[in-house]
Amino acid sequence: MTKGVVIFAQNNKEIDYVELAIYAAQQVKTYLSLPVTIITDSKNWLEKAHSDKSSIFDSIIEVKDNSHQSKKFYDGISYKTDSWKNFTRFNVFHLSPYDETLVIDSDYIINSNFLKFCWDQPQDFLIYDKNFDIAGWRDTSEFEFISEYSIKFYWATVFFFRKNKLNECFFNLIEHIKSNWIYYVKLYRLTSTKFRNDYAFSIAIHMMNGFIDDSFATPIPNKLSYVLDRDILIEHKNNKMKFLIQKQNKGDDFIAVSTRDLDVHVMNKHSLLRIIRNV
Amino acid sequence: MSKGHVFLAQNSETDYITQAYALALTIKKKNKINQTCLITNDAVPLGYKHVFDYIVDIPWQDDAIQSQWKIENRWKIIHATPFKENLVYDTDMLLLSSNDHWWNFLQNKDVVLTTSVFDYKGRKITNDHYRKTITKNNLPNVYFGIHYFKKNRIAFEFYQWLRVITENYQDFYDKFLIKEKQKFCSMDVNASLAVQFMNSFDEFTTTLPVPAFTHMKSKIQRWSKSPIQWQQAVISNLCNNQLTVGNYLQSGIFHYTEDNFLTQDILDQIKNV
Repeated sequence: MTKGVVIFAQNNKEIDYVELAIYAAQQVKTYLSLPVTIITDSKNWLEKAHSDKSSIFDSIIEVKDNSHQSKKFYDGISYKTDSWKNFTRFNVFHLSPYDETLVIDSDYIINSNFLKFCWDQPQDFLIYDKNFDIAGWRDTSEFEFISEYSIKFYWATVFFFRKNKLNECFFNLIEHIKSNWIYYVKLYRLTSTKFRNDYAFSIAIHMMNGFIDDSFATPIPNKLSYVLDRDILIEHKNNKMKFLIQKQNKGDDFIAVSTRDLDVHVMNKHSLLRIIRNV
Repeated sequence: MSKGHVFLAQNSETDYITQAYALALTIKKKNKINQTCLITNDAVPLGYKHVFDYIVDIPWQDDAIQSQWKIENRWKIIHATPFKENLVYDTDMLLLSSNDHWWNFLQNKDVVLTTSVFDYKGRKITNDHYRKTITKNNLPNVYFGIHYFKKNRIAFEFYQWLRVITENYQDFYDKFLIKEKQKFCSMDVNASLAVQFMNSFDEFTTTLPVPAFTHMKSKIQRWSKSPIQWQQAVISNLCNNQLTVGNYLQSGIFHYTEDNFLTQDILDQIKNV
């Protein structure tokens, strides 16, 4: 059985997701010691702008993503609106070169060997259903259910799957949901029509479970730790990260927090890029 | 020993007979142990009668003539039922999957009241929005909506307490509901007081979720904004005898609580499965 990690990277005008993916891949190599594949619509950019680092990837798979959604990308208190491409993830079942694949976002920074367990356990689909906001005080209810009237929330940020028939059905189902997104937005009472992989995965898991809370998806047995794009990464050395975290009731004030041996979803991509570029 | 499902229904502005018919239909379709008894003084439409093995008059006089909610005769159920072992239901319920297995869990008990109720997502309800009288007065937190009894001395004693409390509810409420008063007569409160007076909470409940039901009152669904009726917040769909609410497949006993849920379309679907 082949094993590896897949990272998606689809650049927009402001954010070099490829550069983020290179950094995330370096962390994978350090802590998980596994081959890494990048799936990107920016292969030329990778080979030109990052030619010295592209060898971190054991394979490069090019895709086209013509989606044109936009969203606000915060960097602490300021933000820019830019395009957001996330329409290709359901294809990972067919695109992944591995029999057993861990998929991570390019802004998911691994600082421990925790996720190694995925390849040493019998469940064929693992995903996070619990989260830990490093700020500690913020309302996390939006990550418990996809809307308060609706179903349980799962994070498409990190998941593990084995190639089998059932998982193929699952990813085909996600494609179907994506193709009929507005219908599912109404059916599941989502508050925004923007396509989100988290929501599509959550709906597909619910359907695979027979519309009850059941066991198609096995929860990864800890919490997905994250900082929002309102928080700022200020240092990353080895397995330690330092953040300025938004203070409660004070949107433009911050408190310093450090983590160690903790894998973290760093949603503030601008601050992550500054750390990567050492600026 | 004979076993059966029992409902007491008296029409008012609400058509409780049709609700009982819908419930009995689902019991007939889903259960092997499916004898039913309707206790009523109302005329039962001919087309409904095939789902009731027994249609029994309310014993003695009708104590609910003046009442809209029609609960004053509930204490008579034990006197009217033809069964030795009984599962008694509110009429605004549907049986969505068999509860035949309940009888095995309940057979060693005399009376069992419901303590496990769930929301449509399958989470146990702990919110006491509609039960402040019970919780603030530290009364046993039991639901009368579904209960079991075996026709024996202990069950008769329980029902006798229900009679005394129901017939004198204002006096009982004045005396025993000190911390949170209640003006209207409630069978949940009456049953709770009866359990308290008999000091029988452990005897009259189980640690298992049997009996249990899904309770659809709007304000106990953990919504930040609760509409008056739950149907205003979530879509429900009954198709091929499977009911989904907010895209959650429902099973067990579904206590829909809103009378307008039981439309002719829903009734037709239940009939035609």
